[in-house]
Amino acid sequence: MSSLRVFFALIADTFQEARARWLFGGLFALSTLLILLFLFILQVDVAAGAVSVLGVPSAVRRVYSIQHFVNISYSWVGAGIYVFGTFLAIFASAGLVPSILEPGRIALLLSKPIGRTILLLGRYVGNLLIVILNTIYLVTGVWLIIAYKTNIWEYRFLFAIPIMIFVFAVLLCVVLLVGVVSESAALAVMVPVSLSLLSALLAQHQFMIKLLDSEWSRRLWMGLYWILPKVFDLGKELHYWILIDEPTDWLTPIWTSAVFGIVVLLSSIIIFRKRDY
Amino acid sequence: MSTDYAIEADGLEKIYRARFRGREVKAVSNLTLRVPVGVKYGLLGPNGAGKTTFVKMLLSAVHPTAGSARLFGKDAHFPQSRSPIGYLPENHRFPTYLTGAGMLDFYGALAGLPGHDRQKRIPGMLRLVGLEDWGKVRIKKYSKGMLQRLGLAQALIHHPRLLILDEPTDGVDPAGRREIHEILNRLIAKGVTVFINSHLLSEVESFCEYVAIMRKGKLALEGKISDLLVGTGFTINASRVSAPFLNEIRATGANTLRTAGGVAIQVPTNDHANAVMDKIRAAGGSIDSFAPSGGSLEDLFLRATSERGGD
Repeated sequence: MSSLRVFFALIADTFQEARARWLFGGLFALSTLLILLFLFILQVDVAAGAVSVLGVPSAVRRVYSIQHFVNISYSWVGAGIYVFGTFLAIFASAGLVPSILEPGRIALLLSKPIGRTILLLGRYVGNLLIVILNTIYLVTGVWLIIAYKTNIWEYRFLFAIPIMIFVFAVLLCVVLLVGVVSESAALAVMVPVSLSLLSALLAQHQFMIKLLDSEWSRRLWMGLYWILPKVFDLGKELHYWILIDEPTDWLTPIWTSAVFGIVVLLSSIIIFRKRDY
Repeated sequence: MSTDYAIEADGLEKIYRARFRGREVKAVSNLTLRVPVGVKYGLLGPNGAGKTTFVKMLLSAVHPTAGSARLFGKDAHFPQSRSPIGYLPENHRFPTYLTGAGMLDFYGALAGLPGHDRQKRIPGMLRLVGLEDWGKVRIKKYSKGMLQRLGLAQALIHHPRLLILDEPTDGVDPAGRREIHEILNRLIAKGVTVFINSHLLSEVESFCEYVAIMRKGKLALEGKISDLLVGTGFTINASRVSAPFLNEIRATGANTLRTAGGVAIQVPTNDHANAVMDKIRAAGGSIDSFAPSGGSLEDLFLRATSERGGD
């Protein structure tokens, strides 16, 4: 009971800190801005079969049905939100771990009858909850606007919520590890963002292994592809899932990324438990 | 588990290793110390003596390289051993986004207090440290002295049995300092043990009953201040005394101080002095001098921290 109380206190503290640093408000303000953007730029007249963005009629209506065009819009908007939301969440979260490691703050926290694992996990879960709330708000808001304007309620779009949360949960493990090791907020942004960009490059493995001339470089490429989180692959799968309702392979990028996240999270806990403050 | 000691440290040692150069720095070396329950205990020492590292080892913020520490008989390594502890760190950095009452609520929760208990205790705690009108104000508006008093309230909210205070009156004006001492004295009357880590000799001399002086990571002197200061005791200067044997002598109630030539041992009575001298001789040590002792804490501090001694 006492551990649970401590855990909730740590989560509530993360929320309070995020609010005080304008991270909470900032996240929701930027998400609202994006939602409003969609509200104004997307104009659809289903009755007339016309689609326009900012009042400019689309030529695609001659080629595709309105349903298909809306699906294309949904899938690209989904991909855009996936990138925007994930990076935004990383930027917002990066400072929350190093802030508790400041001398004078960590010593007091550690003097309380709480284990270091609970302390770190409290921060992790608090941070994750903030992003979960924002992701639900952002994705649902955009979905409602597209659906209201097109009258096509594509529920697959909402699948972006669990995927974005999952990807962020994995990347937050990296934020945690970098934060614990370096105590630097800047580095805690750079590393997960770099990993995300690298995942786009590594995902081109079928093309790259043809280009690479040595066996060890091909193995290295594939090794990195399998070890690192598949942020790009999951975004791509989401895009196709919304577009054509036929994902090629959800399972592999999910389980490999989950294993990566668990290993990184455990490493941060072990390092945090061993460090002197 | 009942015990006579609030703090027990046995052979505590902390070695910091530079990450890439492989250099080692011994911050605390073979430190053995006992703090009885219900006393006011002061820890003194120059900068870099290892005082803060020692305190952090007690709180498990720093992991000892060797030795062990116990709080009320429980291994300090376990989080539950810190339940009866209230701690005020030096150079604290309280979350500035919280109000005074919010901060007490947060740290009270971390100490394991249920919500209704915290809500009942917070107004009383703020009143106790003279901040009753400031509870709803964000602490970034607080002065240094106010933060210090709020820090004390945070250390007290769960009714601890041991208070560990790092420079408790730092930044506090003389009137505030007196108020803090009065609060601490009231706690002492209730059986709370107060352990103060301070660089203020006058504070330790006027407030504490016991003192330990650290120098270069080692315990240079330890004992009851009244015994150390009044000229009723005796000082034995001895040489060729080993560190384990010195611990044995300390266990008889004698205070010890490393000196350039060996060790100065202070005992309260003539009989005690004779018994210690017999032990030293039996162990192969040598008695260099024997005389009545006296002086001020400042004298003692300067002797303990400036003389070149060593094991």
